[in-house]
Amino acid sequence: MTLTAALVRRRTQMMGRQLYYEQLSFWRNPFGAFFTVGFSLIFLVLLAASGGATKVTFLGVKEVQYYVPGFAAYGVMSACFNTLAISLVNRRETGLLKRIRLSPLPAWAMIGALALNAMVVSVVQVVLLLLVGRFGFGARLPENWAPLVLAIAVGVVCFTALGVAASTLVPNEDAAGPMISIVFFVMLFLSGLWFPLQPGSALAQFSRYFPVGPLIDATFAPFHLVPGASAWSWGNIGVVAIWGAVGFVVAVRRFRFEPRRAK
Amino acid sequence: MAVIVVDGLAKRYGPMQAVSDVSFEIQHGEVFALLGPNGAGKTTTIEILEGFRRRDAGRVEVLGMDPAERATSMQLRERTGVVLQELAVEPYLTVLEVLQRNAGYYPAPRDPAEVVELVGLSEKAGSRVKTLSGGQMRRLDLGLGIVGNPELLYLDEPTTGFDPSARRDAWEVVRRLTSGGTTVLLTTHYMDEAETLASRVAVMSGGRVVAEGTPQALGGRDTSDALIRFRVPDGVAVADLPVPPTSVASDTVQIRTGDAVEVLRVLTNWAAAQHVELAGLTCERLTLEDVYLRLVGYEREQG
Repeated sequence: MTLTAALVRRRTQMMGRQLYYEQLSFWRNPFGAFFTVGFSLIFLVLLAASGGATKVTFLGVKEVQYYVPGFAAYGVMSACFNTLAISLVNRRETGLLKRIRLSPLPAWAMIGALALNAMVVSVVQVVLLLLVGRFGFGARLPENWAPLVLAIAVGVVCFTALGVAASTLVPNEDAAGPMISIVFFVMLFLSGLWFPLQPGSALAQFSRYFPVGPLIDATFAPFHLVPGASAWSWGNIGVVAIWGAVGFVVAVRRFRFEPRRAK
Repeated sequence: MAVIVVDGLAKRYGPMQAVSDVSFEIQHGEVFALLGPNGAGKTTTIEILEGFRRRDAGRVEVLGMDPAERATSMQLRERTGVVLQELAVEPYLTVLEVLQRNAGYYPAPRDPAEVVELVGLSEKAGSRVKTLSGGQMRRLDLGLGIVGNPELLYLDEPTTGFDPSARRDAWEVVRRLTSGGTTVLLTTHYMDEAETLASRVAVMSGGRVVAEGTPQALGGRDTSDALIRFRVPDGVAVADLPVPPTSVASDTVQIRTGDAVEVLRVLTNWAAAQHVELAGLTCERLTLEDVYLRLVGYEREQG
């Protein structure tokens, strides 16, 4: 089957329309909008404002400077991994995925629009965090934008793949919230976002193998806070990308449209 | 023209033979009802027709296409509508938005505003889906099934959970659709629904079609014995009746007969001549439900 220009245009329009309705749906859902976008901002504000964090330093860097990229990574993860995985499980279990499968909307357009939706939400969050960090707490903006954009882009794609993969491992909608949240918070804990891990410690070593810590570090690097360190954190980006690839394979192999729960 | 042809269809899930040797044809403009208890294989059969499930054996043609054929699956989906048993709509969009969105999936959809009216949700058009009642949600499901202006519509228990007036409305929608030439494949547990809507029904049990015909003639309903009932008139002995009763319970006489017209003629002539009343006189044939229950083996289990 050859794809004519008209067909490509029609399919692009389809995905665009679908994204529009996903966005409508997302921003109107108070829980989605608040827990995904509101949380990262609230954490940043609370942590940065408490105990004069703008003066406290860790490893010679102001704390807020650490939290801005940290919560940018958190935002990416919560939109792409948490929200996407839970919403996919809900849609599968309520029969929405099955219905889509029976409509002329191609499956890739539906999943693509959901992923794009998560990406738009991630980008909105990153921009908000940078603005609040900069104008609220005097955090520096990155000197080099290209590696920041790359880190966020790789993070978005990786956690989107992991989010779809995670949804395939959750048996039903009741388990979706708790299961996804546990994975999310364990990964966050390992990342050193809540309290920076002591460099060289066993936990810090261990966390190098999970995607969240490396994503935070890759997002942190472009801010040029550590003298002499490169803004391009290729090793970290590589770890995130490998996780993304694994997530992609699991997602493609295990994805199902039918509810798992027997009726 | 046959819109659906099923010939020797079989499907197995592990050790369970869900569907075996199922065959039927549905003609253009027909409403065909598949009846059967849960687990009879109705949903599996429909899912194979929809292209959602693969078959193990048999020939299936829907609108001239094989639903298992990937190359034509999009074309097939553009020309069919589905109303599923599950309630599945995004809660934060409005009724009209959901219909507008889905209309965009089809090459020649109905006007979403018109669909809102057709399914009786005009007052709820601007309301978010999560504010709808169960019955309203099912109507939206029906609306989503027809918004693509399908040639063929699958209705899987479309009125389960409807109140009686909403059911009448839904039936009216289906009738309007079929008068416009839409072919409908219906599953239902309501015999009155099958009797009202369907031009033909097939009863499935244990993965097989055990009977097929018009609702009026299914299982020999039209030619089966009729049951005549009346109360024994005062001062008349049962032995004096002109027709020997099949049974007498308290003072009600039952006569089972293959020729109800003749028996009624004899009875009423006799009553007129004797100047007695045949109080509570009824003449019934098997209901669709009676036939259905017999076909799916319910009576046998009851002993």
